[in-house]
Amino acid sequence: MDENRTKVLLVDDEADFRRPVAKRLVRRGLDVREAGCGREALALLRDDQVHVVVLDVKMPEMDGLEVLNLIKAGYPRIEVILLTGQATAQDGVAGIKAGAFDYLTKPIELEHLLSKINQARETIRHQEEQEQAADYQARMEQRMTVAERLASLGTMAAGIAHEINNPLAIISESAGWLNGRLARDDSLPRDFRSNCELALGKISASVDRARRITHQLLDFARQTDSTVKRFDLECLLAEVIDLTKKLASDAGAELSYSIQSEAIELWTDPYQLRQVLINLVTNGLHAAGSGGRVSLSAVLEGPDAAITVEDNGPGIPPENLDRIFEPFFSTKPPGQGTGLGLSVSRGLVEKLGGRIEVRSRLGAGAAFKVVIPRQLLTSLDRVAGPVGK
Amino acid sequence: MVKLPIDILMVDDEKDFVEMLSMRLTDEGHRVQPAYNGEEALKALDEMEPDVVLLDIKMPGMDGIEVLKNIKTKHPIVEVILLTGHGAVDTAVDGLKSGAFDYLLKPADFGELVKKLDAARKRKMEQETRIRQAEAQALMRRTGDI
Repeated sequence: MDENRTKVLLVDDEADFRRPVAKRLVRRGLDVREAGCGREALALLRDDQVHVVVLDVKMPEMDGLEVLNLIKAGYPRIEVILLTGQATAQDGVAGIKAGAFDYLTKPIELEHLLSKINQARETIRHQEEQEQAADYQARMEQRMTVAERLASLGTMAAGIAHEINNPLAIISESAGWLNGRLARDDSLPRDFRSNCELALGKISASVDRARRITHQLLDFARQTDSTVKRFDLECLLAEVIDLTKKLASDAGAELSYSIQSEAIELWTDPYQLRQVLINLVTNGLHAAGSGGRVSLSAVLEGPDAAITVEDNGPGIPPENLDRIFEPFFSTKPPGQGTGLGLSVSRGLVEKLGGRIEVRSRLGAGAAFKVVIPRQLLTSLDRVAGPVGK
Repeated sequence: MVKLPIDILMVDDEKDFVEMLSMRLTDEGHRVQPAYNGEEALKALDEMEPDVVLLDIKMPGMDGIEVLKNIKTKHPIVEVILLTGHGAVDTAVDGLKSGAFDYLLKPADFGELVKKLDAARKRKMEQETRIRQAEAQALMRRTGDI
């Protein structure tokens, strides 16, 4: 079905007039429907989209102007061309006032009608383009605001992280020094010593917790520098498995990977991709828990490589699916998640010209799919267009 | 294995940090000389030769990278480890290019810090040995000439 063909509804009670006109319009490449009265025309519009209605004014029962009002009220995008008798040209003027595109006086010349229909169609196209442009601009603006917000959030995050790291270092060294002294001193009563050790242990653990947050905040702000290298995706996956093996055995979950038989070679930033995959695998292992399973798999998708990290954990509730990529969104208990892993990951993947998709059903696990161009530079060219020459 | 004491010049504008980390390192048998800004650090280097300078990057006045460049010109044999709360990797890379031995982000793990300090001390010692050998060879050659 050709979307570009103009769809016309021809409404006239005189079949002897209507049929030949319809036939000739079809011969000229239009997609034409016919209706013998206003009611039939309106019924037809309910089921079918048309661009232009050619409407006879003088009809029994419901007259053309009445039908015109109903069309304009129900389908503001449709343009209406009125056909009037010689003696009733003032109906045409009234029609234009009521929103008709134009009117023609019977008897009509086909060429005349055809050019009016084309004009009406052009007007519709123009209007649609304007609406699309406005819509696009609105979306771009929205995206820019989000990007700006994230950028300034990043700068602020880095500043805060830095300011917090310093006092954190002081706390850490103070606790460390006390701990060292405690270990060397035999004169303290046993109860007191064990209480001190407990308290110092809590200080150290809290410093660690705060450090994880500040360091991740810095990662979040640091998404500007990257290196591009050629590497084999399978090696990278093996490395990711290697780095998360311990976590998997701690969690009591099974971790595996598979890759399609042919080697997948990438020209992109291996470290950032590795960081993303480690984040996703770590999340997956947490979700899968004891006895669960996390699998990594990679396939080629045209110019892209797609890597999926799938777990058989409890899945993500639909109301959270939109929010999981927001900074600081976390469902883990306090102290266990910073809420930055996925937002950092998405930032990194987008910087590599790719995207992350998530698929999940409650009770049926979750799958995160990272799609990145196999060649970072060509993908940048694709966006920016050819430069120079 | 016997742990060798490390001579450290610690440069940081955070006095509390310098104080606590010094106490901790001193307890472990190392020797720490504090300096609270770049100028002080460079002055101290004229009077002593530490194994390692532990250097903060973000300081008022002369910043860490500038101090590092200064140290590497005047005292190329002294090793420098950057220790900073700032996450700017560019600065870290700058630092490594300008001759820093390593880079650590605050708050650093104490064990890791000591390991790096020790590695830096070793490198300085090896470098000194090589210099002595080269000097001895040069001396031999000269005596041989006579």
